[in-house]
Amino acid sequence: MQKINKNVVLALLSLTSLVFLLFQLYYYKFYLSQKNGTVFSKVRGSQSGEDSTRWHVVRKFLGLISSHNIPVYLIDPLILGLVDKDIEQIRSSGGPSPECKYFCVPRDFTTFALLDKTWKPEMGLFRTAEKMGFQWLKIINKDPRLDGMDDLSGIEIPLHYIFKLASHAIHLVVFYERSGNYLWHGSLRLKQHMDRKFVPFRKLHFGRYPGAYEKPELLLVSIDDLKVQIPKNPSSFLEEMSHSRFLECRYREARAFFQLYPDDASLDAVEFRKKAKSLLHLAALTLNNLGVKFWLSSGTCLGWYRQCNVIPHSKDVDLGVFIRDYKADIIPAFQKAGLPLKHKFGKVEDSLELSFQGEDDVKLDIFFFYEEDDHIWNGGTQAKSGKKFKYLFPKFTLCWTEFVELKVHVPCETLQYVEANYGPDWKVPVKTWDWKSSPSNVQYNGVWPVDEWDDVIQIY
Amino acid sequence: MDEWKPNPAAKPHKKRSWYLAWKYKLMNQRALRKLCQTGAVLFLLVTVIVNIKLILDTRRAAYEEEEESAQDYDDEMLNVEVPRHPVNNKKVLDVEVYSSRSKVYVAVDGTTVLEDEAREQGRGIHVIVLNQATGHVMAKRVFDTYSPHEDEAMVLFLNMIARGRILIFTVKDEGSFHLKDTAKNVLKSLGSQVAPFLSWRDMWTFVGKKGGEVYGEKHAKSPALSTWGDPVLLKTEVHLTSVEDAECHWPDTELNRRRKRFCSKVEGYGSVCSCKDPTPIEFNPDPLKDNKVFNVPVAVIAGNRPNYLYRMLRSLLSAQGVNPQMITVFIDGYYEEPMDVVELFGLSGIQHTPISIKNARVSQHYKASLTATFNLFPDAKFAVVLEEDLDISVDFFSFLSQSIHLLEEDESLYCISAWNDQGYEHTAEDPSLLYRVETMPGLGWVLRKSLYKDELEPKWPTPEKLWDWDMWMRMPEQRKGRECIIPDISRSYHFGIVGLNMNGYFHEAYFKKHKFNTVPNVQLKNVESLRKDAYETEIHRLLGEAEVLDHSKNPCEDSFVPDTEGKVYVMFIRMEQEADFTTWTQLAKCLHIWDLDVRGNHKGLWRLFRKKNHFLVVGVPASPYSSKKPSSVTPIYMEPPAKEEGAVAVPAVPAAEQT
Repeated sequence: MQKINKNVVLALLSLTSLVFLLFQLYYYKFYLSQKNGTVFSKVRGSQSGEDSTRWHVVRKFLGLISSHNIPVYLIDPLILGLVDKDIEQIRSSGGPSPECKYFCVPRDFTTFALLDKTWKPEMGLFRTAEKMGFQWLKIINKDPRLDGMDDLSGIEIPLHYIFKLASHAIHLVVFYERSGNYLWHGSLRLKQHMDRKFVPFRKLHFGRYPGAYEKPELLLVSIDDLKVQIPKNPSSFLEEMSHSRFLECRYREARAFFQLYPDDASLDAVEFRKKAKSLLHLAALTLNNLGVKFWLSSGTCLGWYRQCNVIPHSKDVDLGVFIRDYKADIIPAFQKAGLPLKHKFGKVEDSLELSFQGEDDVKLDIFFFYEEDDHIWNGGTQAKSGKKFKYLFPKFTLCWTEFVELKVHVPCETLQYVEANYGPDWKVPVKTWDWKSSPSNVQYNGVWPVDEWDDVIQIY
Repeated sequence: MDEWKPNPAAKPHKKRSWYLAWKYKLMNQRALRKLCQTGAVLFLLVTVIVNIKLILDTRRAAYEEEEESAQDYDDEMLNVEVPRHPVNNKKVLDVEVYSSRSKVYVAVDGTTVLEDEAREQGRGIHVIVLNQATGHVMAKRVFDTYSPHEDEAMVLFLNMIARGRILIFTVKDEGSFHLKDTAKNVLKSLGSQVAPFLSWRDMWTFVGKKGGEVYGEKHAKSPALSTWGDPVLLKTEVHLTSVEDAECHWPDTELNRRRKRFCSKVEGYGSVCSCKDPTPIEFNPDPLKDNKVFNVPVAVIAGNRPNYLYRMLRSLLSAQGVNPQMITVFIDGYYEEPMDVVELFGLSGIQHTPISIKNARVSQHYKASLTATFNLFPDAKFAVVLEEDLDISVDFFSFLSQSIHLLEEDESLYCISAWNDQGYEHTAEDPSLLYRVETMPGLGWVLRKSLYKDELEPKWPTPEKLWDWDMWMRMPEQRKGRECIIPDISRSYHFGIVGLNMNGYFHEAYFKKHKFNTVPNVQLKNVESLRKDAYETEIHRLLGEAEVLDHSKNPCEDSFVPDTEGKVYVMFIRMEQEADFTTWTQLAKCLHIWDLDVRGNHKGLWRLFRKKNHFLVVGVPASPYSSKKPSSVTPIYMEPPAKEEGAVAVPAVPAAEQT
């Protein structure tokens, strides 16, 4: 009897569980179809109907924007990646293509870019879009170009548009020109009342972070019988995209800092800032021409992070460069640009540091950084004693930012970087700074052997 | 997941006999039973897995909402419709209106919409306009009809109000002294019984619908010249109409949607809200050929004078070669009505939290506006700076397009300005002529980005310094000897008569008779001669050809200049050193041009027109052009009047006029 009972119980249990399972499968499917069937698109595989849907949506979208004279260009990494493989062929051929090779590949989105200044958002566009069957979503946010100024309001700008038709969506990223001659796009943040299931936002290629780009050269090509603008060099665009993350300066914190420590508005400070700015511009130009990646370091980085400006009592401009990016041309290039070498400490293998003489006592220091397994360090040398110092930093990656009308790199993990260098009290201005003892990450690193001094301590 | 689909399909056979047989079999066959048990367990497991997957998926979707949710602004698109009270047809509003010597107030449904008990302010007739469908306040004005001409302004205002609006009037202190018959008749036509007989220090309140019924009127007569009428309090009810009745039925276009939004919110802009034949809000002036300033940003500096802003933007958008995309209006303060005006024209506007007070507030607003302009248009090398109380000439952009390259190439230039301080009706003549002057006139000018970013912005006066920005810019530390280019006939006209440094008298004396170019497409003459060295050659040529006037005559007399046309004359005045403007100031005074400080000079030389002749004034010996003076001529000296004569009240600081 017991056995029977057990069996009956088990059977009943499996029965209920089966019913439950059925219900859940049904619900799951229902839930997903609400999300536009995107997950199931994998399951359904590459049926030709789905493929041509994507192509049709793209075609409709291109028709829509060209009817309103809005110039967009393709920045979809997936398609550009495919296009890049056949770039020669695409550039040369203009005739019809035999098969749908690009716009039909399985994906949830097709991404386009739009330059803000080339259009004006008018309701007409969206009305036409609706008539064509598109559902659309606009994501707006504060204009970062005005963020640096207290007390301005009234401006929210469109950052992203999403046009959805059937199971495919077009992601239109709006790029803005900013001081420093670069393009910027914002991050995509949904506001409370927005439809979070409009499209699978997590899968978007743009919008997780803000990004900074050079102004691209465009090329009009015909892909899959659709005329579309693409970046002239897709592979370098994709490369740029992979590390385009942009950090906005912390304007609000900077204002709070100036509340506490009013800015130095003396003529000297104004003059120094002007010189430091032009020195930084010159250095950036020189290093960019050489293709040497650099970032704001030490005091200059602190100035950016703490007050969004040059610290007027800092007296020099500090840049960091990874030693793997070192080039022997650096010194002659700076000399050519009118910045003679002031001193050179260390050698490429160890603790290299270059100093160039800018206009009127403003000095440009370039510190070279050495990567280890769990940290990064740069070196310092005391000229008179030959003592070596080592400054340790936690590992970091590089992000773009805007500083004194320049697009430059800073460590993305800026707080750790600044804290490593200046300790937890970095928020308090210090006027007397000893580079040998003040930094909280300094380590004594021995003495240069005397016979190497001529090489590792060069002062001009 | 899919492999599980076939399973459920197999299940639903449920015949009892089959079940019993199955059970029986199960009992007898251990292996099968075991299989079934494992099968059941498997089912359970799968259910659990599906469950977990579902939870994870829902989680993920929820997580997508991301950290940032602090701001919670409404999406603009959802907001296109004007916010309104939920309007039930035929709602009733309670209106209370109070009039007395020292205080007036108006309350609508218990909400005070006007309250003025400030001393020595707000004298005259207060007018409030309500939307007849929503009861919203659409306009609020006060007309000091104790003073002359204010009644004319009131008539103008009342005529602009659309039919059907609800009008509320109340008098504070005195409102009849300069209330002329025209105005009284207009009030009578609105249904007022009392207005035609309103007299000295009477108190009066009135509520009525324009072109319709009267809701109430109360009046208290002043018993004697020296006393005021008793305070009056009018309580009445107003019946609201439906929204449809209150709106016009314009065709549904993008422009009309803007118009509708505007017209349901504010009043007093006349035909722009007329139902039958509304005035256009898009102007489409002819484009300029080879427009060099098409991509130059235009910053319009505004305060809370929305009617001025409306007039200004109309003229700006009608100027040939205007590019509306480049225009940004900067409003000093969170005022709604100026923003409504900006939106009516489809332009972008930015509001700025006021910092500091008086002149410093204007100065801080200027700084914020200029910085924002260059941030928003990082490509721009220049910015055009305008103010809300300027009319813009039809060839404003054409004038700039022809001259802007000078600002780019000639380092000795400080700005290009559309305003000639000395260009009055009787002293300006040639629309194609330009000058170089050492003073910065402002009032419609072009600023070089490098000048602003490298020099002005870093040391701009801080909020605690109560300086005028324009006076500061004129200081030698900033100007550094550089000059501005100006036209002989101004390309802007200053119409504002209320403002920080402005009043009716001042405007009448110094701005009303200013000449303003109305000719389109003026081809500027000899622009290249405005460059630093070329200009000296040009001046020497002019002086060489100029006829020396008879220095024995009185230069203030008309007969000082012969009755000719198109000739060039020169006179010499005494100017001991560079800063000695004694004689010039007297001369300027009697010529009725700007004499409050020195404007329009170039190295001790002033250029203007008299009786259609070019008229040059050279200060001797300070000016380098003194050498052109024939030895026989003695420079004219004019003595300043003794102090007590200068009794005319003139504002202390002759700063240009701003918000």
